Amino acid sequence: MQENNVTTSPNIENLTVSPSPHVKKVHTTKWVMINVCVALLPACIMGVVYFGLLALAIIALSVASAVISEIVFELICKKKFKDILRAFDFSSCVTGLLIAMTIGTNYPLYAPVLGSAFAIIVVKMLFGGTGKNIVNPAIAGRIFMFISFQAVVGVWPAPAIGSIFGLPPTSGATELAGMLGNGALPSLSNWDLLLGTGLAGSIGETCKLALLVGAIYLAVLRIIDLRFPTIFVVTTGLMSVALNGWRFELFLPSILSGGLIIGAFFMATDYVTTPNTKLANYIYFFLLGIITAILRDATKMEVISFAILLMNLTVPLFDKFIIQKPFGKQKTPKKETAKNESK
Amino acid sequence: MIKLKKAKFFPYGVHIPDNKTLTSDLKIVDITPPGKVYISMSQHIGAPATPVVNVGDKVKVGTLIGSANGAVSANVYSSVSGEVIGIESLTNGLNQKQTHVIIQNDFLGETVTFDDIENVTPSAIVERVRLSGIVGLGGAGFPTAVKLSPALPVDTIVINGAECEPYLTCDYRLMMEHPQEVLEGVKLIASAVGAKNIVIGIEKNKPEAIKLFSQFDGISVVPLKKQYPMGSEKHLIYCTTGRKVPLGKMPFDVGVIVSNVKTALECYRAVKLNLPLTHIVMTVSGDGIENPKNVRVPLGTPLSDIISFCGGAKDGVEKIIAGGPMMGKALTSINHYTRKTDSGLLLLGKKSTSLDYPTNCINCARCAYNCPMRLMPMYIELYANAKDYEKAEKYGAMSCIECGTCAYNCPAKRPLVQSISLAKAKIKEMKNARK
Repeated sequence: MQENNVTTSPNIENLTVSPSPHVKKVHTTKWVMINVCVALLPACIMGVVYFGLLALAIIALSVASAVISEIVFELICKKKFKDILRAFDFSSCVTGLLIAMTIGTNYPLYAPVLGSAFAIIVVKMLFGGTGKNIVNPAIAGRIFMFISFQAVVGVWPAPAIGSIFGLPPTSGATELAGMLGNGALPSLSNWDLLLGTGLAGSIGETCKLALLVGAIYLAVLRIIDLRFPTIFVVTTGLMSVALNGWRFELFLPSILSGGLIIGAFFMATDYVTTPNTKLANYIYFFLLGIITAILRDATKMEVISFAILLMNLTVPLFDKFIIQKPFGKQKTPKKETAKNESK
Repeated sequence: MIKLKKAKFFPYGVHIPDNKTLTSDLKIVDITPPGKVYISMSQHIGAPATPVVNVGDKVKVGTLIGSANGAVSANVYSSVSGEVIGIESLTNGLNQKQTHVIIQNDFLGETVTFDDIENVTPSAIVERVRLSGIVGLGGAGFPTAVKLSPALPVDTIVINGAECEPYLTCDYRLMMEHPQEVLEGVKLIASAVGAKNIVIGIEKNKPEAIKLFSQFDGISVVPLKKQYPMGSEKHLIYCTTGRKVPLGKMPFDVGVIVSNVKTALECYRAVKLNLPLTHIVMTVSGDGIENPKNVRVPLGTPLSDIISFCGGAKDGVEKIIAGGPMMGKALTSINHYTRKTDSGLLLLGKKSTSLDYPTNCINCARCAYNCPMRLMPMYIELYANAKDYEKAEKYGAMSCIECGTCAYNCPAKRPLVQSISLAKAKIKEMKNARK
């Protein structure tokens, strides 16, 4: 009966039915991750300029290792290759890039390969893939390499613009190590620290300006909120000043040396391992700054990755105890709620 | 340049490209009368109406065909003149099986009206609104007569002229073409509940409507920021009067009644022109339709008639949506019949609708940052999927207004609204079971 009553338009068939809303932002997880990769590019390019083609090899190996580990793991989990490609969201590229950027060119070439594979398989995929990890994979990968390659830790190659043409880079301790060790001001000016010229360090952490450019790019696209990493950086600076007997001349050097900038703007801001409310984020990044400064002072080493790792583990606590107050919620007297619960 | 007062806004929410220019300058046109109408007996919240006609009966425009069944229900009237040819249970485009009265149009257009109200008292107005089957035409479908009998005294009527849904322009066109009638309707509603203040909230992207209503006495216009979901009852009240509706309470708890532009206009028609609710104005738009239009449609008109009146569908229509794109429902088939609450009919192609697969939540917290009710949608979804509905309630599932802001922003394209409405339904079930 129903068929007789209905006139159909010939060109409307196979309608899609889905829950509302039917319009959405074009932004996807993939879009976010690709843009993070783009934001890291200036720092990578500066790394190659400073440290030569060896840096490029390390970056390429690290990213390849991260991507291949993810795909292999999913193949072992019996996912179809087509589905893996469809769901591939470039987050492993970000992890691979960050891991390559936190090591120096004096690391053996298999170090980033192992580090990325560890980060992706153990820290990310075993916990359930993107979004399910409890600590930042890049941080865990960096710590893995830090512990595993003790022979080269603490000695960093110094950048030389000419090294891309094959000149051997000189090596030395970082300015931060010197500063933390004896409280001496670094021998380089703040400008050199910002640009990374003549500064011994890792591939991606050396040119702070390039990292800041990337961070501003992410902020313009509203992928990160600059307020939070800024809180982190400033708190660390002030706390370092305070721990050294209020020597304010240490403020900028303590921010600009070591891995604070890349840690604050690219690692600590990882969505998965930050709290879910603004208030909790203010507290989280403030505590991160305090812990970083205290750990730096206590160990005389660059330990920002350990600070972030520690704070990552506290995120579930923040999320449990700090939740948003719904619009129009009224305070209920405590006695009343107790009564209601006992009912 | 029209000078505007500083627009009011609420924190959070989202800006959405509105696509209103497709139809915002098109006058409302009457559709060519359909050959047959299929009028559903359940076009409102509450009990379905009971059919009071038999197959073979002659009806006119405005003949009662479905009688309200209980306090929260609404009368249904014939929208064409002709003969009843069937009373059947049909599946509509939302896959709901409902009783429909099928009427063959004789194209004579004979009309019956109510008698004049001799003495326009508050109770007479409420009685007439009840009789004429008016429901909340903004999309909720709550019987207006019930709304006009609030449990607490009301001092302010807020008219919702925000129309925050993208694409829809029918409220705007009604405000531009029938401002006097809308105003009269609002005044009738105000006198029915004894309210003194009348406020109309209009989004800033309709400057002409703001200018037009600023000329009238007895109504204050509040320009609103273009922000979704401005048309939500609670947010509209907050922006226009500064009052916050407490969680789990109704607007009359803060002395306000919110009414849609269309509802106000229908109240005017019912009380002053003695006409029951038989036609609605809807926006037919989207990139899948040849000629987008604002049309006045008899209730029960099949969608295919509306689409062919608007020049037919283009190739590659991916979704048909009844209502706006944010809160409207996607239809499973074209076998759908116009209901009182349909304010839009959108035909969207692949480009203008989202077809992404959901991926893992990456905890970016965009849903929580933008939630106009300031809930934590990611946890509600998490616990709803884990079937832990008590936890979902703890994170505010019952306060959700299902506006879709969370899912709009979600980079992982998770179906947050669906999970939350599932949680809401389950929590209600649990509460009923406990009783």
